[in-house]
Amino acid sequence: MLRLALNMLFGDTAKLAMLLCGLAFSALLMAQQTSVFFGIMSWTYTPVVNIRAHVWVSDPMVEQANDAKPMRDTELGRVRSVDGVAWAAPLHTSFLQARMVDGNFKLITMVGIDADTFAGAPAQLSQGQIDDLRLPNTVIVDEWGAQLMGRQVKGPDGKITTVPLKPGDVFEINDIEARIVGICKVRRAFTGGPFVYTTYDRAKSYTLGARRTLSFMLVEPVAGVTSTQLCERIENETGLKAWTTDTVIWDWTDRSLARATFWWFWKNTGIPFSFGTAVALGLFVGIAISGQTFYSFVLENLKYFAAIKAMGASMRVLSAMLFVQATTAGLIGFGLGAGMAQAIGRVMIEKGMPPFVMFPQILIATLVLTMGISFVSAIIGIVKVSRVDAATVFRG
Amino acid sequence: MTHTIAVAARQVDISFGSEEAKVIALNHTDFSAHTGELIMLVGPSGCGKTTLLSVIAGTLTPQSGEIEVFGQRLDGLSQEELTTFRRKNLGFVFQSFNLIPTLSVVENVMIPLLIQGASHAVAKKKATEILEKVGLKGREEGKPNALSGGQQQRVAIARALVHEPPLLICDEPTSALDKDTGAQIMEMIRELSRAPNRCVVVVTHDFRIFKYADRIAEMEDGKIKRVVDDPRTLDPTYL
Repeated sequence: MLRLALNMLFGDTAKLAMLLCGLAFSALLMAQQTSVFFGIMSWTYTPVVNIRAHVWVSDPMVEQANDAKPMRDTELGRVRSVDGVAWAAPLHTSFLQARMVDGNFKLITMVGIDADTFAGAPAQLSQGQIDDLRLPNTVIVDEWGAQLMGRQVKGPDGKITTVPLKPGDVFEINDIEARIVGICKVRRAFTGGPFVYTTYDRAKSYTLGARRTLSFMLVEPVAGVTSTQLCERIENETGLKAWTTDTVIWDWTDRSLARATFWWFWKNTGIPFSFGTAVALGLFVGIAISGQTFYSFVLENLKYFAAIKAMGASMRVLSAMLFVQATTAGLIGFGLGAGMAQAIGRVMIEKGMPPFVMFPQILIATLVLTMGISFVSAIIGIVKVSRVDAATVFRG
Repeated sequence: MTHTIAVAARQVDISFGSEEAKVIALNHTDFSAHTGELIMLVGPSGCGKTTLLSVIAGTLTPQSGEIEVFGQRLDGLSQEELTTFRRKNLGFVFQSFNLIPTLSVVENVMIPLLIQGASHAVAKKKATEILEKVGLKGREEGKPNALSGGQQQRVAIARALVHEPPLLICDEPTSALDKDTGAQIMEMIRELSRAPNRCVVVVTHDFRIFKYADRIAEMEDGKIKRVVDDPRTLDPTYL
């Protein structure tokens, strides 16, 4: 009977198409919006990903990676003296305005790294070399920044194109020259400003001699000491806050700066609510369209279900038929929706906007919710069929 | 040939609604049908024909009285037991055929066998065989809507008989058919009723087919008014 149930479903092409549209749209909205949400949220802890170190140390009042509360440089010595520290390097981060050659200003994220060790330097340079950062007034700009801060040129056809920045180009930060010696590949940040790397000491000069410029300290544990153990020691001995740099945001057992940053944005911004609304909308639209369409499918077939019931089919058989029909539609709808979400995601990833992170968990959750919609639809149908009187088949 | 009692209804009462709006559909109704017989239930609209048919088919439970079909008492059976009873013992031919339009002809005929738990292959084989018997060889994979009314009713008859039920219930089997097609269908149904262990109960308004009946039970106001062998003896007012 289940095979016939599927044939009944696939035999009504128009109804099936409507049903699949509802389910696919719902799955698409849920998967795509959730993936964009997690993409945007993953940008919140970009500094932890781009500036690589096993342990970050901050002022004890710091709550997340974008929230630097500058410390005195002397704190570095205290941290270095903690047992289990292999090395500790200073890190400066701040938001500054860069003045371009054409007089335009752009917001940047200045990152000052230790000139001796280059701890926290970008992992990959597409142009130039990291050692050139030791030359006077030099910076490394990320690829997106090179494009964003590039020069606009009017072509012979009147069309305006952007010429990206390249090594040798210059701009100013607080009236101090910044000469580009490299272009790096790093992940973009939630705050929007491109990353501009320089040395820690030069970063101080770009910030016009602020009294405290030590935003974080990057620390490496000695062999045999875990990041978590080292964090505990640093906190106990210095009173500072120490963080691990794992990016598994749902692991509540560690002291991950990425996780703290993710959840800080979760609690303190309207992002989860707005995306949650879109996901909930997808769910409700899915339930409404699919439930209504499936109900109308059941209504149209009600006299046939009544006839099958009169012929001696038990409610178990009829329920199984409806479940098979609804879940098959659900699975196909999920496949279509998730496939479309993946396709849209690929385009997004290629363009880099908006960020798109589709965890397997998102697909599983979307599948569960889509199947939930199907189950609800099936239950509505089963209730209707269970109430139909087999004797109605004799009433014309 | 000995004809045993196939269906027996004794003092069956059924009413719908309550108090002032109460409608008595069956009023101490007695009815019987035998194996090897085609019996018709006739009478004006609202006389209780369909209600009696539903009671015999086990789709409606009487408020009082006894119903016995092939020795099995139906009154007092649970819904689940009635469902099992219908599955094994009954074949239905409906007024509007009730063929599922999205399924093929053969799939429609397979339904009673699949309900009984037969495998798809076995059900298909048997359905194909019976379709050949009702003259629909070669139309198995087509959709019911592509067939004429007479052919659709043949499919419905094939579906009603594929699992070889002893009791065939026909509700207005010719009402949607023209005279000639109706006659062909009735010939077929009468032929089927000749099986020694089968009984056919037909509810109809169509006086043109009365001649195919072995007996005709005339109903009025929820009761069997009389049972006749010759249709010419029936009250002419509704003929």
